[in-house]
Amino acid sequence: MEINEKAPGERKLECSDVSKCFQLLESILDGELVENGKEILQEKLAKCQPCFEHFHLEQAIREVLKTKCTKQPVPRELADSIRQMISKRK
Amino acid sequence: MSEVQRRKYSQEEKTAIFDGEFMPHIDSMYNFAFRLTFDEDDAKDLVQDTYMKAFRFINSFEQGTNAKAWLFRILKNSFINEYRKKSKQPAKVDYQEVETFYNSDDVDYQSTSDLRAESVKDMLGDEISNALNALAVDFRTVIILADLEGFTYEEMAKILDIPIGTVRSRLHRARNLLKDQLKGYAQSMGYKTEDEEED
Repeated sequence: MEINEKAPGERKLECSDVSKCFQLLESILDGELVENGKEILQEKLAKCQPCFEHFHLEQAIREVLKTKCTKQPVPRELADSIRQMISKRK
Repeated sequence: MSEVQRRKYSQEEKTAIFDGEFMPHIDSMYNFAFRLTFDEDDAKDLVQDTYMKAFRFINSFEQGTNAKAWLFRILKNSFINEYRKKSKQPAKVDYQEVETFYNSDDVDYQSTSDLRAESVKDMLGDEISNALNALAVDFRTVIILADLEGFTYEEMAKILDIPIGTVRSRLHRARNLLKDQLKGYAQSMGYKTEDEEED
């Protein structure tokens, strides 16, 4: 999604219902089914600065977690030793 | 275990399920185990134990259902029952305590405008990883399941044996705690925060 730093002036600076909006945005980011999710999201991002910022921050956090915390090298012998233990039990 | 008595799998079927549906998740399982124990040997033992249990109870696994969630549930329970006691980690704050502390009447949805998406994107893997590892185990766990492994709220509820509403609120609190950690990094590393205006 394009981050347009010049746009804030066109969005309202106060969110009238932070609790509800942020919970909704987080559910959408988590891939949970939200009725009319796409439409709501587009409207919030276009019209509300706090929602816009929250969405992009939450999105960035999910992205870095996914890309930077899943590369733990697995010991090479682990899969083999599991297969050996299983074949002994058969 | 399921109350429904399923037919028993033949030896060939067991092998096919084990190799085809269980073993492909070994990388995710090891990553989860390592982030729970912070120790390579403990993580290896935990993953081995989990696969041994998975094989022993393979008849209670319904072929074609979510094997990854089934395995993660076994791993999480093994960790709680065995490894948590002997973990080399100093005792972390008990979740109950933490939850009470953060349990205001409502889950607190607030704007954390002093942390910027751009600074988060610029952070190094170690900084993100350390921030995650600094969280109490129950908070760390929901973030691993949701963000690293992509489980849905419903799958997480089953893995953790908690209601979906609790998954949602615990995840939200966990991310807020993570943001606090990241904010600390952002400031100490000289990343831009809202307090500093761009020149």
